[in-house]
Amino acid sequence: MSEAGGPLRGYRVLDLADELAALCGKMFADLGADVVKVEPPSGCSTRRIPPFLDERGGADGSCYFLATAAGKRSITLDLEQANGRELLARLAETADFLIESFPVGHLAGLGLSYEALAAGNPGLIYTSVTPFGDLGPGATWTAADIVGWAAGGMMAMMGAPGRPPLQVSVPQACFHAGSEAAVASMLAHLERVRSGLGQQVVVSMQAAGVWATNSETAFAALEDRSLQRSGIVPAGGTRSSLYRCADGYIQLLIGGGMFQPTTTGLLDWAREYGPLPAAVSDIDFSTWTPARNQAGDPGFVAGVAACESAIGEVLSRLTKAEISRRADENGWVVAPVATMADVAHDRQLEARGYFQNVTQPGLDRELTLAGPFARLGASPGPSPRPAPGLGEHNADVLCGELGVGAEEFARLQAAGVIGSAPPGQMRPGTALDVSRAGAHR
Amino acid sequence: MTGVGDGLRVLDFTWYGVGPITTKYLADNGAEVIKVESVKHPDGLRLTPPFAGQQPGLNRSQYFGNFNSSKKSISINMTTEAGRDLVRQLVPHCDVVAESFRVGTMAKWGLGYDQLREFRPDLIYLATCLQGQTGPKAGFAGFGMQLAAIAGFHHLSGYSPDELTPPHGPYTDFIAPRFGCFALLAALDYRRRTGEGQLIDLSQYEASLHFLAPAITHYFATGAVPQPQGNGSARYAPHGAYRCRDESGKQRWIALAVETDEQWQALLAVLGDDGGLSRFPRRVDRLAQPEEVDRYVGELLADRAAGEVVAPFQAAGISAYPVQDCGDLRTDENLQAFGFFASLDQSECGPMPYDGLAYRLGRTPGCQRAAPNLGEHTDEVLSGLLGLSPADVGQLREGGVLQ
Repeated sequence: MSEAGGPLRGYRVLDLADELAALCGKMFADLGADVVKVEPPSGCSTRRIPPFLDERGGADGSCYFLATAAGKRSITLDLEQANGRELLARLAETADFLIESFPVGHLAGLGLSYEALAAGNPGLIYTSVTPFGDLGPGATWTAADIVGWAAGGMMAMMGAPGRPPLQVSVPQACFHAGSEAAVASMLAHLERVRSGLGQQVVVSMQAAGVWATNSETAFAALEDRSLQRSGIVPAGGTRSSLYRCADGYIQLLIGGGMFQPTTTGLLDWAREYGPLPAAVSDIDFSTWTPARNQAGDPGFVAGVAACESAIGEVLSRLTKAEISRRADENGWVVAPVATMADVAHDRQLEARGYFQNVTQPGLDRELTLAGPFARLGASPGPSPRPAPGLGEHNADVLCGELGVGAEEFARLQAAGVIGSAPPGQMRPGTALDVSRAGAHR
Repeated sequence: MTGVGDGLRVLDFTWYGVGPITTKYLADNGAEVIKVESVKHPDGLRLTPPFAGQQPGLNRSQYFGNFNSSKKSISINMTTEAGRDLVRQLVPHCDVVAESFRVGTMAKWGLGYDQLREFRPDLIYLATCLQGQTGPKAGFAGFGMQLAAIAGFHHLSGYSPDELTPPHGPYTDFIAPRFGCFALLAALDYRRRTGEGQLIDLSQYEASLHFLAPAITHYFATGAVPQPQGNGSARYAPHGAYRCRDESGKQRWIALAVETDEQWQALLAVLGDDGGLSRFPRRVDRLAQPEEVDRYVGELLADRAAGEVVAPFQAAGISAYPVQDCGDLRTDENLQAFGFFASLDQSECGPMPYDGLAYRLGRTPGCQRAAPNLGEHTDEVLSGLLGLSPADVGQLREGGVLQ
C-alpha cells in the first residue's frame, strides 16, 4: 500500500480493539506498521467518544477517534456472521499482530480464540487487553476509564478529603493499558524473531494503572500506610507545590540540591519587592534535605514555610510568561501549569516542529495531531495520515490483498457482512506491498 | 524455555524514573541490563524512602527497587578517564546504551551517540530527558512533577480551574517509558532487518502528550480551552466516585459509570429503586443534569456496602469498582489472580515487595529478579565481558575508578 517509512514498516496489525487499547494500534501505526482496524459495520465505539468537532457530535467528528485512529486503515466485518468470522480468520493468516479488547472469552466463543487463529498462523502475536486480567473474579467485568483509574490506585490519591476522589479530565486509564499492550506485544515479537512462534499476550488495565502510583504500593507493603488524596492546591502554603500567579498557577519545589538555585533565586526576586522576615534568612538551603524537612525540626520547618510564603507573594504579582522568562534566564526549575492553549503555542514544541497537520478527507478540513512520540534518527515514522472513514479500505484489503472476488464482495456486502458503503465509493484495490518484513516466517 | 530478551545486552546509565522503567521491561524478560552507577553519584531513588526495615541505605530503597528489578549494577566513577575508558570497552559488547542525563553530559564524557558508535557501529542509543535533545528548552532539568504541569496534566486535574488536584507523583514518569521502550524494541527490529543502529531522542514531553491527544486535536480544531471538570463526563451519567461504606461501616468509595439506558435500568434494579427511571428516563436526560443524577445515585448508595454492590453491578453489565488505595491494591483479588505483586529476595534486604508485570506473555513469561545492590556485579561484568583479572579489578578499585 503506502511507501510509508518507519522501523515497523511491513508488519501488519489487525486492530479489533475499542477504547481500552486504542492507543496500542496507534503506536504501531506511528512507527510505520500497517494497522488495519477491523470494525463492526456500525462502526467502532471509539467513533462516538467525545469531545466532538462540533457540539452535535456529528458522524466521524469524534476527536477521540480522529486522534487515536490516525494512520490506521479501516475495514468493516460483522463477526456475528459466519462469513465475517471466516474472513477474519483468513486475514489473521496475513497478520503479524492482532490486538483485541473484547470481554474475556468473547472471541473464543466466536471460534476466534488465540489457539484457533494460531493454528492457521503460528507466528501470530495475539494481544488481549482486559480491564482486570483474565483469571480473577473480575475477568468478565467491564471498566469505563474512570473505573479502571479507580481500580489501579491513582484515583484514591487525587482530590480533596471529604470530596470525591478524581480522575484526570482527559481520561487516562485506557491509555495506560493501550501503551502497555504495545510494549508487551513488541516484547513477544523480540522472541518471535528467534523462535518463529507467536503467542497470546494478556494485559491488565488495572495493573498498568498501578504502575502509575509511583511505588506508593511499597509504602503500603513496608510501612502499612496508604497515601490518601491530599487536597486542593495551593492549600495555603507549606506542603504545596503549586503557587497561584496572576494568570494561573506555577509548579515548583522549594529545597536544596538541584532546587537550591531556584529557591534562592526566587527569594532574591522576592527581596526586590521588599524585605523578607528573619525566618527566611535563617534557612541555609545547602543543608536542606527531604529528611530534615520531613523530620519536623520546628525552626527549620517554620523557616521553609516562611520562604514559601515569600515566594508565593512575589509569584502572585506576576504572570506565567513573566515568571517563565526569568526562570529560563536563570535556569530555574519552575514549571508553568500549562493550559492546552499554552501547550499549543509552546516554543519548545514549536522549535521541534512537534504538532502535525493532516487533511481529513471526509471532513474536508485540516486537523492537528500530537506529533512523534520519539525521534528515531535512522528510521523516522511515516508522514502523518488521517483517521480512516468507516470501511474505507474494505475493497483494498479484502479484494486487493485477500483476494476476495468482485462477486463474492458484492454478496458479502448485500448480506451485511462487510457493511453497506455504496460500491461507487470503493476505490479499486491498490497493489499490495508483498515484501513482508516478518523474517520469522 | 528461553527468555524474550536472551542475548540482548543494555548498558544503562539512566536514573530516577523514566529511563529505569524503560529498561526494566527488557530486564524483566531476560535481557542483561547493566546499570552503570557510582557510589559518589548514585541513582537518587536509592536515597529515597520507603526503605527495608525503615532503615535508609543505598541498597534498601524499594522506590529504587521497584524500577530496577532484574538488573545488574556496576559501579564506575565517570569523572575518571579510566572509568570512561571502561565504558568504551564495554560498549562493543552491548546492543543498547540508554541515558537520561541532562543534555550534553554524555558527550562531555566522550560517550555521546556519535562518539560511541565508533566502538559499535550498529549501536542503538536511547537518550531521554524532559523536553528532548534539541530546542530552546533541551537543557531544562527537572522531574515528572514539573513536566506534568508543563504538558497540561495539572491544569486538567481538579474540581474546577481554581480547585486543582494534580495526579500524584511525577506522573509523566509513568507514561514516557512505554513509548521509549516501544521505540527501542522497534529500533532493535529495524537493526535486525537492516543492520543499522540509531539514536532515539525520547522527549518525555512529546511522548506524554499522546495521553492528551484527543484534547489536542479538539483544541486546535475549535479553539476551546479544555478545563478541569471534576468527574464530569460528556458521555456517561452517572459518572464518578460515590460514597458507600465498607463491611465495618467505614467510608468507602466506588467508581461507577453508566452510559446506556439499559445500564441505568439495571443499576436502579440492583439498588431496588423505583423513582430514578421516571426522574431521568433517557441518557439525554441524565447528561443534561449530571449533578442531580449524581445526588440521586449518591443517596441510593450512601447506605450500601461497596463489596455488596460492585459484583451485582458488574453482573448486570454496569462498570463499577471500589476506589482502591495502595493498601487495598495489595489484597485486591484481581491483581492477586493476575499474579501481580511479587516478593523477591534482595541480596541485602531479603524478601522485598515488588510491583509485578501488568502483562503476561503466555508462552514466554517474564522472570523478575530483585534489584541489585550498588556495584553488586562490578567484578562479574568486568571479568566476564572485558576479561579483567581479579588483580586488574583490584587495581582499578584502589585507583578509585570503581567508586
